[in-house]
Amino acid sequence: MAKTILAVDDSGSLRQMVAFSLKAAGYDVVQAVDGQDGLDKAKQKTVDLVLTDQNMPIMDGLTLIKNLRELGSYQKVPILMLTTESSDEMKAKGKAAGANGWLVKPFDPKRLIEVVQKVIGS
Amino acid sequence: MNMKTLPTTELRSLLAAVSDHGKQHLVEVEADLLQTTFLLSEAIEKLGASFMAVHEAVTEQQQVLNALLEAHKFDVAETKKLEEFKQKIGQEVNAAVTGLQFQDLTSQLLNRTIRRVNGLKDLLHELGNHSNDIDPDHEHEEIAKFLDEMSHSLHEGSRTLSGGLRRSVDQQNMTTGDIDLF
Repeated sequence: MAKTILAVDDSGSLRQMVAFSLKAAGYDVVQAVDGQDGLDKAKQKTVDLVLTDQNMPIMDGLTLIKNLRELGSYQKVPILMLTTESSDEMKAKGKAAGANGWLVKPFDPKRLIEVVQKVIGS
Repeated sequence: MNMKTLPTTELRSLLAAVSDHGKQHLVEVEADLLQTTFLLSEAIEKLGASFMAVHEAVTEQQQVLNALLEAHKFDVAETKKLEEFKQKIGQEVNAAVTGLQFQDLTSQLLNRTIRRVNGLKDLLHELGNHSNDIDPDHEHEEIAKFLDEMSHSLHEGSRTLSGGLRRSVDQQNMTTGDIDLF
């Protein structure tokens, strides 16, 4: 059975490219338009990996991670940030919030898939 | 020139003109930025849809080619050539996926610029409003104090505006970003 990845980003074009890349590699993808939508969808179905943007309306990525880590079912689910933010300060905040990795946009599909496979397998 | 009274009327007029002209130009800047945002948004939508359609067609074409390869004997050179095409297409698809992320980055920069323009409009509006408070009958010291307060208010407003506009996009090109696993 294909593993499911929750992709959270307020940019429609970015979600489209993320979903395209992950589906091409055989993953199922659930999409969310902001942190709150991501949290709601994560509660509906526990996914195998969360890939989230940082700067989004309503709820940002760091807040989403903190909320997810408070849920029993998401304490060990890998969470990766995929964001334009590249400062060490923000990366440290991500790590402290519970992120397992930090990917700076724009992403290369091949490298994204390599990282996802490394984190959750094929 | 020896002036015994401050040219308060001219000073009010100058401040009002700076405020009005500045706001007019910023309104134009904002309109252009919003139009640019809209055009980029529509462009990426069309590019994304076309990209998906082309990829779907190429995938189907590849399936037909695979069936032909199985059904017919192609010589080694032709088979190798087809494999090279397949790899080349894969590389270009990856490059396109990276390039098509431009709108996410540019929209963040445009949004930040629009917020700054709006903040500047507010500051200029405040400048225009304050200029009406300058009374020609006031003593020099009162006017000096008033101008000092106005400068301070603008400085604070500018500082607050900058503080709320943290830079989130430092990318100078569309080269793929770093990856850190914790």
